[in-house]
Amino acid sequence: MVSKVSSNVGRIFDIQKFSLHDGPGIRTVVFLKGCPMACAWCSNPGSQKLQVVQVADGLHPDLHGPDSRDYALDEVVATCLQDLPFYEESGGGVTLSGGEAMVQHRFTSSLLAALREQGIHTAIETTGYAAPAIFERILGEVDLLIIDVKHWDRDQHRRWTGVDNDLPLQNLRTALAAEGPVLVRIPVIPGVNASLDDATAFCRLLAPMGVREVQLLPFHQFGERKYELLGWDYAMSGVSALHEEDLGPYMAVFREHGVRAFV
Amino acid sequence: MQPREDAMSTLVEPTITVGEPHFGRLTPRMAAWREELLDTPQSVCVERAMLTTETYRIHQDEPMVLRRALMVQNVLEHMSIFIEPATLICGNQASANRAAPIMPEYAMDWVIAELDEFDSRPGDRFLITEDAKQQLHDIAPFWEHNTLKDRGLSLMPPASRTFYDLGIIHPEGNITSGDAHIAVDYGRVLREGLAGYRDRTEELLTRLDLTDAVQLKKSYFYRAVLITIDAVVTFAHRYADLAADLATTEPEPGRRAELTEMSRILRKVPEQPAETFHEAVQAVWLVQLCLQIESNGHSLSYGRFDQYLNPYYSSDLATGRTTPDQATELLTNLWLKTITVAKIRSWSHTRFSAGGPLYQNVTVAGQTPDGRDAVNPLSYLVLRSVAQTRLPQPNLTVRYHRGLSDEFMAECIEVMRLGFGMPALNSDEVIIPSMMSKGVAEADAYNYSAIGCVEVAVPGKWGYRCTGMSFLNFPKTLLVAMNNGADPKTGTPLATPVKHFTDMTSFDELMQAWDVTVREFQRHCVILDSACDIALEESVADILCSTLVEDCLGRGKPIKEGGAVYDFVSGLQVGIANLGDSLAAIKKCVFEDRTVTAAELWDALATDFAGERGAQIRQLLDAAPKFGNDDDYVDTLLVEAYGSCIDEIFAHTNTRYGRGPIGGRYYAGTSSISANVPQGASTMATPDGRRAGEPLAEGCSPSHGADTHGPTAVFTSVSKLDTERITGGVLLNQKVSPAMLRKPEDRAKLVMLLRTFFNRLHGFHVQYNVVDRATLLDAQAHPERHRDLIVRVAGYSAFFNVLSEATQDDIIARTEQTL
Repeated sequence: MVSKVSSNVGRIFDIQKFSLHDGPGIRTVVFLKGCPMACAWCSNPGSQKLQVVQVADGLHPDLHGPDSRDYALDEVVATCLQDLPFYEESGGGVTLSGGEAMVQHRFTSSLLAALREQGIHTAIETTGYAAPAIFERILGEVDLLIIDVKHWDRDQHRRWTGVDNDLPLQNLRTALAAEGPVLVRIPVIPGVNASLDDATAFCRLLAPMGVREVQLLPFHQFGERKYELLGWDYAMSGVSALHEEDLGPYMAVFREHGVRAFV
Repeated sequence: MQPREDAMSTLVEPTITVGEPHFGRLTPRMAAWREELLDTPQSVCVERAMLTTETYRIHQDEPMVLRRALMVQNVLEHMSIFIEPATLICGNQASANRAAPIMPEYAMDWVIAELDEFDSRPGDRFLITEDAKQQLHDIAPFWEHNTLKDRGLSLMPPASRTFYDLGIIHPEGNITSGDAHIAVDYGRVLREGLAGYRDRTEELLTRLDLTDAVQLKKSYFYRAVLITIDAVVTFAHRYADLAADLATTEPEPGRRAELTEMSRILRKVPEQPAETFHEAVQAVWLVQLCLQIESNGHSLSYGRFDQYLNPYYSSDLATGRTTPDQATELLTNLWLKTITVAKIRSWSHTRFSAGGPLYQNVTVAGQTPDGRDAVNPLSYLVLRSVAQTRLPQPNLTVRYHRGLSDEFMAECIEVMRLGFGMPALNSDEVIIPSMMSKGVAEADAYNYSAIGCVEVAVPGKWGYRCTGMSFLNFPKTLLVAMNNGADPKTGTPLATPVKHFTDMTSFDELMQAWDVTVREFQRHCVILDSACDIALEESVADILCSTLVEDCLGRGKPIKEGGAVYDFVSGLQVGIANLGDSLAAIKKCVFEDRTVTAAELWDALATDFAGERGAQIRQLLDAAPKFGNDDDYVDTLLVEAYGSCIDEIFAHTNTRYGRGPIGGRYYAGTSSISANVPQGASTMATPDGRRAGEPLAEGCSPSHGADTHGPTAVFTSVSKLDTERITGGVLLNQKVSPAMLRKPEDRAKLVMLLRTFFNRLHGFHVQYNVVDRATLLDAQAHPERHRDLIVRVAGYSAFFNVLSEATQDDIIARTEQTL
């Protein structure tokens, strides 16, 4: 199965139209399978594995179906093009997300090229965990890079995501040094990185790198049921969701360090 | 559109409001009156019935138009009038607010048959006293074989009558009530006063040569017009007297001054031209009211309210006669008056118009005849006042166009956020060219307004029922086509037999059978429409309404005889999405994948998917492509199938063809109101997987829960329909979650979505219902009904169904807070 994935075939678990929070304007998000991280709070747990997994049907839990399938490049491009008028009117476009969109980097590159050929604005949402050469190449192929910083501390990063943060931070520096726009995002997770000390530490890490703006993604439980459908354990079970109004003091810390934080 | 039925009963003030609401609050007296009106149960008033019967008894010998005028005169001179303590404008439709007058000349059979059940209906209840029942029983014999409905039924040819009797074609509303579905020229009423119309009519009357029989006939109409105008003026003067009387005993000086001013105003308007904003609003209301006493047709609309009233508002503002707050209060006063108007329908018709709606539409924004943005200060005040009253009436429509400012659209979205389904957006970008292509003059096309809900016409120049002719049930038509032209339930032959579905060997054969059947059915629609129209023309002309619609005076005849400048009508095709989804499912499952045989499918439909195989079949049908997902497989099938019907619709004319108006023709229409519910109730299971009795899809909206690819896909699918020929309205209702409207940047993206739909995809109409707590709770209990429900948080959106119960609970709790 995996061998089929190539520059012309991508393994995709969802193509979501009318996405509003993944770059400017009205966008279509292409969610690619496979992720080198295994974040405890991941809201798309099925997306972590590159291989297709079976999930219980949300409406009929006794039924099982594949969480994803392989798409030919042309099919993905055609689906994205269906909403071209909306991109043009709103200044939107297509965002590649995951999983980690750089896992299937050959497909990602050819999809980005095909979309840009159609004049469509492109963005990528990445964990930053990719080989520097691949990261740098894709950075040059995309109009907007959206990169997560999951934790400021190397060990904590490893504890909660399965990998340490050396590579993402190295790639972040590369991205910041390049010319294109970069948006840094921090998922704010209770018990992981949501304390005010965490906020201070994030600032001390990011401000010297030249980051002036971060988007905070308050923890939500939208993925909870997916673990159930997959039959997987869920570390964040029962943890309350955060909402924008809960993040006031956290955002204030960023402000004090000269970094604009928004939700 | 689907009016918010629950709006009257469940209106609550926002639970969390930090500071003042965006649009401010009603003044205390309007707030108190609003509460009182909401607490007032609907009732039945017999005054109009008794006075009408009296006139008809005495004047049976008069020409019909004069009898109608004398009826209006008798009613306006003798009905009870009152002035509420809070109001600044006068005019009541019946002896109490929210009391529905019985109008016996339209139909009495259902009134008498249902008399004892009015106050025990499952919905739309009306209180009625025993005394009132007795009075109606007393007049009933006079109306036997003497009503519009009797006449209409006898004019229906037997073969077409079968369709009426079987409930396949539904013109019930057309012969049990008056026409309406119209807006008159209020601008001219304000500029000239009714005196101007009177002068013109007198002039025309004196010029007639009565030796010419045609002109003799015109003289009856002109005399009827003069009687009616005088009756309206007398009615206004009755209020002027009452206000003056009340002023003499009013202890509070402020109110005394108001009553004195009201008395002055009603002595002047609507007879004389209006000069102040207050005078103008009073004149509009009194005429709007009299039109609804003359006839009980609904969708009697205000037209382009902000355009014809702004000159009075601006001038009062400039001279310091009024302030924006005072003007807002006056508008809220008008809206509260608007909600006092009531209509009782037969139970069978009530189910097509649930919630007792009168659809009195107010249209704002749009463009001036030279193509500039027409938004003015009063447009904003209309939004503000409608937001403050938050009632199902008036029906608020905003005319969208490319140049409509983001600022005004943001205000529209603020109104949407209040969650009562308003405003609806209609788009100039498609409607104006579509009208001009049908022969409407450019200046008139630029002056269109919404009528009722989604349908459009030129105020004061267009005949009745730009939509609102017969309802045709598409899925039932398809089932008849599949059943060799016979009604599946009764076996009654209804259309030319082509072939039974179980004998069909290709999908093309089905499309062929559909084409034959829907064309024949559509012809029966036209026959039934014409039968009703002949009856309406011969029995119940509306003299006041005709006076105020060009060019009835010039031509010397009422609208129904061809008096209007334009006269296009449309019926309502119901179950659009079900038709497309059914065809796609049949094509895919029976003829392509061959997972279901034709015989199995037919059996499954007949048994409502009974048994294990039935359930399997239903699942296969469910999985076939569905309209609303930008999937050409189904969208093109629907366009083709609907096209057969539209071709037939365009081949026919109405009873005014060749009698004066431009048009005299039909186009298609889809504003099914709530007809999708009763029409679904009487329809067996359909090949789209819909169970027997379940509602059909509303308007052009996708079937409930079938659109799983978000709003851009819905818009794109709908835009593939032949909008240019569905001038009767391409109705699209959309849901939006409150979270989507919480942040300015998200609201801005909603504006972009709408602009794309209208600017790029030639969208006709869209209306947003904010998903409320009740819907979310229902989705939690019945996920299968809400497959399309999307909820969002920053950076993430998900189908509600796949969320855990705890997360769903969290969203539900927060939804309550937002609204």
